[in-house]
Amino acid sequence: MRYLTHIRNLLSALLLLSTAAGAAEFALSVADVNAPAFKAQGIRLVLPADGSADLQIANLKLQQHEFRNLRVRCGGFTLSSAQMSCRNGRLDAIPDAKLDFSYDFSGQRWQLALVAASGESWQVDGQPDKRGWQVSAQLRNAQGKRLSPLLPAGMPLPAQGALNGNVRARGDASGVQAVDADLQLAEIGFSDASGLHAAEKLRGDIKFTANRKGVAWDWQGSVVWQSGEMFWQPLYLSGDNHALSASGRYDGKSFEIEQAVLDLPEVGRMQFSATLQQGRLLQGVLRGDKLTLTKLFENYARPFLAKGALAEAALYGRADVEIQYRNDAVQALRLGLHDVGIADVSQRFALLGVNSEINWRLDAPTTARIDFAGGALLGVPLQAGQWTVNMKGLDFAVPQAELAILDGKLDLHNLHIYQQADAWRWEFAGSLLPISMEQFSEAAGLPKMLGTLAGRIPRVNYDGSEINVDGALLFNVFDGTVVATHLKLANAFGRSPQLSGDLALRNLDLDLLTRTFSFGNMQGRLDGDVNNLQLQDWQPSRFDARLYSSAGNYPRKISQRAVQNISALGGAGAAAAIQRSYLRFFENFGYERIGWSCVLRNGVCAMGGIEGANSGTYAIIKGGGIPAISVMGYNRNVSWRELLTRLKRVTQNNVKPIIK
Amino acid sequence: MNSLFKNLLALLALLVAFNVHAAADLEVNTPGVNAIKNSMQTRHGQLSAYYASGAVGLTMDGMIAVRDAGSVPLAARQTVNALVAAENQDRSALYAEIANANGHPEWQAEIRTTFAQRWVQRAQRGWWVLSNDGWSQK
Repeated sequence: MRYLTHIRNLLSALLLLSTAAGAAEFALSVADVNAPAFKAQGIRLVLPADGSADLQIANLKLQQHEFRNLRVRCGGFTLSSAQMSCRNGRLDAIPDAKLDFSYDFSGQRWQLALVAASGESWQVDGQPDKRGWQVSAQLRNAQGKRLSPLLPAGMPLPAQGALNGNVRARGDASGVQAVDADLQLAEIGFSDASGLHAAEKLRGDIKFTANRKGVAWDWQGSVVWQSGEMFWQPLYLSGDNHALSASGRYDGKSFEIEQAVLDLPEVGRMQFSATLQQGRLLQGVLRGDKLTLTKLFENYARPFLAKGALAEAALYGRADVEIQYRNDAVQALRLGLHDVGIADVSQRFALLGVNSEINWRLDAPTTARIDFAGGALLGVPLQAGQWTVNMKGLDFAVPQAELAILDGKLDLHNLHIYQQADAWRWEFAGSLLPISMEQFSEAAGLPKMLGTLAGRIPRVNYDGSEINVDGALLFNVFDGTVVATHLKLANAFGRSPQLSGDLALRNLDLDLLTRTFSFGNMQGRLDGDVNNLQLQDWQPSRFDARLYSSAGNYPRKISQRAVQNISALGGAGAAAAIQRSYLRFFENFGYERIGWSCVLRNGVCAMGGIEGANSGTYAIIKGGGIPAISVMGYNRNVSWRELLTRLKRVTQNNVKPIIK
Repeated sequence: MNSLFKNLLALLALLVAFNVHAAADLEVNTPGVNAIKNSMQTRHGQLSAYYASGAVGLTMDGMIAVRDAGSVPLAARQTVNALVAAENQDRSALYAEIANANGHPEWQAEIRTTFAQRWVQRAQRGWWVLSNDGWSQK
């Protein structure tokens, strides 16, 4: 306040001078004024004879903010030995507001009022008290945008809305000792330059008090967010009485939240405490009971997940959570799951009715039992089950587990999920105990197949980018076997996964196979080799395939319709060759051998038949018995896409054979 | 003599570069390329309104970027961010896939440059393009 006394003395001297000289106008220049809170340079005060005043400050530094060429014009300026006042003032920087300022020299009280349209007022009073000084501000419809020049650049700046309420501060020569604020936000909007941290129409209450004790501050505050919306990348939230109340201590170095309660609508209540130092979390504990997972996941977790299966999943049920964080890592996690479900929106997987009490620790081995009521994988339902998981830090092992699938089950051995070199890896082995193909195909939306699906799954592992199958994957299908070897899935969870491997088909029952795909009946046994198979985004891009009759004695019959369909695959021209008039009298024909090959490169299938002839016609079916029939192929090169279209046509449309 | 040799070498390098360009089949058709193109085509339906409003623009390196998030309602801003991220992921994958399908993974950078020009040429009037001089409207 001492600098104001100096100003008073200067102004009084000036007043005396002006009275003595009877002059019309006086001007006073002051080089600079330095005070603890501000620094002003190039001050010029002009006092015309009409009782007004014009104050210009070339440069004003208020804390870390700098304002240039400030100018206040007072409509009425009075100066007496008791008081100085400026009425009906206009500040060039805020042309739409009226400024009143007065200072009472004897009581050292000052008042500043900024009044604008729509009942806006900023009333600030300052006065000395027993211990030092106090300042209080009353805000009525105070436009938030006026604070923008005072806030650090780079942080979101208020652009709309108003503040109502009171802010009080008390202090002494050593600085501020106490702050007390009670503010209501009305339709506040803010944004940073990038628009990635912004809010609109915020309504809510903020209460905050802080008291200094020595070097430390004891603080407590509460925020109730009633309505409005906020985008804080990547989170988008709309206010619905979200509430936070917290108290703690700040000693100038570490910021301590001793106790905080956070109420998230549609999620539940969480309590937490934390210690932060320079923005870094040193330690923290978060606890929440019976939290509703749907909104917790949807609003607070999913926005952080990149595109992927989990990002497209929904969570259900409730959970009790307790997280302990220390030494830059989560040290312990207690998770109580109550009827929790997770389901992929595109219905690739689902696990429902999950119940468990998981006590995980970073530094000690623990075990959890997880019960689940059921689920689905690629449309195939999974039955209820129980898994025991051995946990040791970021290493999870399930020595033995069963997954009941339809009328069979998947036995998993040594399922191991772990983190190595910042990537999650997993491996397992297992066996598939017979599942009825009829049920499986129906559930998976495939044509109805007969027989059973069973197999042995050797070690399968995922190294963070590729899934590899060691050894041979064996399936029993169509009364024969399919053995897959050298299986590798690259870019497994990325765009356009690439599968490669070799398949060996042995002794498949043609009767079961042709009945499944409505191809027209064939009887016999079929072997096949598909080598150097490559699928890109699950579409074949390359293979060397050969299908041929299995060795051995078995009935070999082919129906008229199957003959017609096979010839239709060769294109319209090929069909003509077998359309002999007498064939119409027979339902079935005998054959000796079947053979067909396709080498797929660049979308073109180079076909061959029983004999490995290089050009010209080739036999796909060599006749035998009575009546016998042979089917010849004419076109060697066919577009793979065209071949698939033809295959789809003959199996879907169930074309009737036209035998001439 | 030395300078003549240098010029010849430069000419040779230019020819090699030109040949690389001329040889790359940008319309190569593999299941991988098709999958990416389909995904991009589906996304374009969602992105086109943001190109038109100026919220999103094209960059000269064959990618896209958020230009003016402020013009997008708050509730849709993360959707736009995610669309841009997914589109850029697809575009990178497309350039790599086409280079691989041509049997020359090392051509990726040039394929990207060619595509970048193509995207800008095909952009509708009024869409925004980011060059070294900043954003400008086509």
